[in-house]
Parts: sequence; C-alpha cells; structure tokens
Amino acid sequence: MVAGSTTVDHLETAAAIEPSPEDALAAVAALRRLADRVEDDAVERALRDAWTWAQVAEALGVTKQAVHKKHAKRLRED
Amino acid sequence: MFERFTKDARRVVLRAADVEAAALGASAIEAEHLLLALSETIGVEHDTLVDALEAETAASLDAVGVSLRPPPPGRHRRRFRMATSAKVAMHRAVQAAVATKDLEITPKHLALGVLKAEVGTVPRALALAGLGREALAAGL
Repeated sequence: MVAGSTTVDHLETAAAIEPSPEDALAAVAALRRLADRVEDDAVERALRDAWTWAQVAEALGVTKQAVHKKHAKRLRED
Repeated sequence: MFERFTKDARRVVLRAADVEAAALGASAIEAEHLLLALSETIGVEHDTLVDALEAETAASLDAVGVSLRPPPPGRHRRRFRMATSAKVAMHRAVQAAVATKDLEITPKHLALGVLKAEVGTVPRALALAGLGREALAAGL
C-alpha cells in the first residue's frame, strides 16, 4: 500500500513537472492571454503615474511606436 | 468575406468584438468570443460558457505551475483585430455552408465553425463544463 501511494506520488510529481503536450500548448495560449492582460493593466497604471510613453516602451523592451500603436487609442482620454 | 453573412451572423461577429472580447479585456477576437456571442444559437447559458472559459484558463495555467490570474480588464480597445482562431472558425463556417449548399452564412454555420475545432481553448472549455462538442453541433 505504501509502495502504491509512492507510485501515485511519483506520477503526480511527473505530471506537475511535465504537463502533457495538450496541456502545455493550452498553457502557452493562456499565458499569452495573461501577459496581454497584465500588460494592459501595467501600461494603464504607469501612464496614470505620469510615466512617459518612451519610459513605458523601454521598460517593456519594445519600441515607442509599438507600445503607442497598441495602447494609445485605448487609453486616450476623451 | 462578410458579403454572404446574414444580418444575424454579422450581429454575432460584432457582438463577439464589441461585447465579448471587450468584456474579457482581450486584445483580439478569438474563437471563444464567437462562442460566447453564439450562446443562444447553441443553446447554452452565456454564464455557463464564461465560467467554462475561466476554468479552462485556470486549469491551463495550473498545468505549468502558474497561480497568477489575469487582472480585471481595464479600458478596452475600440477596434479588435481578428485572431487566427476566429479566422479559422469563420473559414470553417463558410465550409459548413458550402457543404450543405447554403448560399448564406447564418449563426448556425458560425456555431458549426466554432464547434468544429478539436483542439484549443473552445473544445477544452466545453469539455471542462461537461458539454459535448458534437452533441451541441448536432442540436443546432
């Protein structure tokens, strides 16, 4: 019985370390969605804290044009 | 591409962008946003689908040991690009119409297109909610 539960523990540990290809691929998609949402939120708060577009771009490691194109319309006050 | 879409089918696509993708803070229209916009057509409660998609995201992130969950959506976009998953679903909708020699693309064809995917976010979410993809398609 002890040996049996050890095997189950091993399987669970293996699954936690290496998800199936299906789960791993789905995780990549979910991580991209998560990253997008974290970026939206972070850019919005940085600009509210008076960061410049240039600073936001540099912090994200992208060009100012890229960050502007992605967020300016969304965040423009009007 | 939209010339052959009926008014109702166009409404579904607009709803997928302006309501569903916007509410979820998405940066593009994905197949799951079409699914949500089609909740009436496929006969599943909108809330059930929202919960299923949330569960799919949580399960997928858990699988790689990520416990962080998306922050609440902020100011959303006014224009959404169409992501590949949504383009594929629309392409399959057109194929479904061609297969039955229908001249117009209706919400039913869109639903068939979305439900056709065997892998990806939509089938995983439906499976997690105990909803059979093929049974839903057969019930259209």
